Amino acid sequence: MLIKLAWRNLWRQKRRTILTAMALALALLLSLFMRSMQEGSYANNIENSAKFSTGLIQLQHVEFEESQSIEDLLPATDEFIAAARKLDDVERILPRLESYALAAAGDKSKGAMVLGVMPALEDEYSSISDKVVEGEFIKADDKSVLIGQGLADYLSLTVDDELVLYGQGYRGQTAAGLYKIKGIVHFPLPQLDNLLIYMPLPLSQTLFSTGDQVSAWVIDTRDLTRLEQTMADLKREYSATLLKNTSQHSLLDRNGKSQVNVRDWEDLAPEMAQQIAMDKAGGIFMMYLLYGVVGFGLFATILMMTLERYREFGVMMATGLVRTKLLGLVILESSFISLLGVTIGLALGTPLVVWFHYHPIQLTGETAQMMLELGWEPILPMLLSPWLFIDQILIVLGLMLLCLPYPLWRIYRLDLVTALKGGGHVN
Amino acid sequence: MSIQTTQLRKTYNQDTDFPVHAVKQLDLNIEQGEFVAVMGPSGSGKTTLLNMIGGIDIPSAGTVVIDGIDICSLKDQALIAFRRDNIGFIFQDYSLLPVLTALENVEFVMQLQGHSEKECRERAIALLNQVGLGDQLHKIPSKLSGGQQQRVAVARALAPSPRFVMADEPTANLDAKSTAELLDIMQQLNEKEGTTFIFSTHDPRVIKRARRVIVFEDGQLTEDRVQ
Repeated sequence: MLIKLAWRNLWRQKRRTILTAMALALALLLSLFMRSMQEGSYANNIENSAKFSTGLIQLQHVEFEESQSIEDLLPATDEFIAAARKLDDVERILPRLESYALAAAGDKSKGAMVLGVMPALEDEYSSISDKVVEGEFIKADDKSVLIGQGLADYLSLTVDDELVLYGQGYRGQTAAGLYKIKGIVHFPLPQLDNLLIYMPLPLSQTLFSTGDQVSAWVIDTRDLTRLEQTMADLKREYSATLLKNTSQHSLLDRNGKSQVNVRDWEDLAPEMAQQIAMDKAGGIFMMYLLYGVVGFGLFATILMMTLERYREFGVMMATGLVRTKLLGLVILESSFISLLGVTIGLALGTPLVVWFHYHPIQLTGETAQMMLELGWEPILPMLLSPWLFIDQILIVLGLMLLCLPYPLWRIYRLDLVTALKGGGHVN
Repeated sequence: MSIQTTQLRKTYNQDTDFPVHAVKQLDLNIEQGEFVAVMGPSGSGKTTLLNMIGGIDIPSAGTVVIDGIDICSLKDQALIAFRRDNIGFIFQDYSLLPVLTALENVEFVMQLQGHSEKECRERAIALLNQVGLGDQLHKIPSKLSGGQQQRVAVARALAPSPRFVMADEPTANLDAKSTAELLDIMQQLNEKEGTTFIFSTHDPRVIKRARRVIVFEDGQLTEDRVQ
């Protein structure tokens, strides 16, 4: 009967109930839309930047993070990477050998970042061949290199010209070689365009005399949402405990600690992670501001629903309704309004988010052009994650819980005689 | 089975320079089955007296003993339970729950006692039939006349089978016909079921029907007569 009573009480002031529920629904819809767009953009940005730089996860030698040295490498063997390959969430694995060398041609020279990659795998991941502006993309068995346009311009090089690379190889050996330029690649980011030299992995291993080793294994997950789990799985697989049971004892140091460091994109690109965190904080602040405004409306409704019914509450208490049940009645009524708001908000918001998830907003103009140049699709994608929906529901319910204590306190302190007189004063 | 008050006193604004003595040193005894009218001018303390013997208001001094229990000494929850099981209330403005039908209003108080749905339904229908509203069961209060609403209030007051019914000026808003019908119903219930009715009123039509009239003036009992 209390449930029936609470539900019907809502409709005594239809307009007020509908307005309050609609305000909640609108706040939920806007927040859901905004957060889905924000999270969708982050996911898109993370995936896009991962493709052209760090990847989502990297396995590195534990010292490499500090030293960035050619001395701190991991095996490039199937045996080593088998543990990662067997994980269901791992979509692709790319070996990379990264080091620095002096690039010289004629009387000019410049420091360059040499990246040894498996060309086909790398192209499949980041479509790097689309960025070749002159010449051709490299193949695994090529003895030639791909060079950034900025670097090529600086060294006055073009396709089929030769380039000298000179640096330090593994264990202090000299790394030197003469390589033909097979293609010139243009990166929108100047720091890459002026710095990068791609070469097939076997060629780079020869240049730096590393043997069958790499500086990083880049790992991509099927879904960004599985990143955390994949990280945990990889950390477990490459932990000292599990490595001890394999034949890869060389991956343990003298103290028996694992020499494999599993790093995610946040660790690899902290500036980007920080930027996203700042942006997300701004978005969440706006969301709470919106809910705060709506929360005052909800509070006013619940308070009015309480104060205007003192006489009725008095009669109910006189006829035997215990105070706790009366409190329960008001909690039920508030819950119904909140659930009504949540239901309407979700009913309107869900199709909208789903639609834009499958049909993302297409960007135009300069922004689109800039994204295209970066190799990114010019879209504003929406993330479709149950947690975003659950968050909104929890926020509305939390808002209701914040609005309740004062009206409930008024009822708790309600004096029966005063209430029966219809007065709003509590002794 | 009786209500006994001893040295009952109620003073408002007790700790101020202008205390209001609503009820002064009242000794009263009301036996079960009585049909009592408490009359007096406005502000004489009638409602305060009803509230105190109905367990709604707490006396400033003295005791109210019902069936051997000093209700003033009961804790909040125990007092609510005692009131729910032993005392019914009828208010001047009917005070029905506006969103519940006549039937649901009567059922509601029985459900608070923990009766089954079936029991509540059967007794509520029987009571509403008894007050002549058998054909108005599913109407909400706003669709009923004042007289009909007050009859629902009577059925609601009687639903938990109380031994005493406190009626605070129950006919004040009713026309002559409705008043007569309502008093007939209450008189019948009093005679058939032995329910004690205590009215606060200054309506001569009620006073005429009462078997005992208590006259109250300035918080004091000035006359107690049996008619």
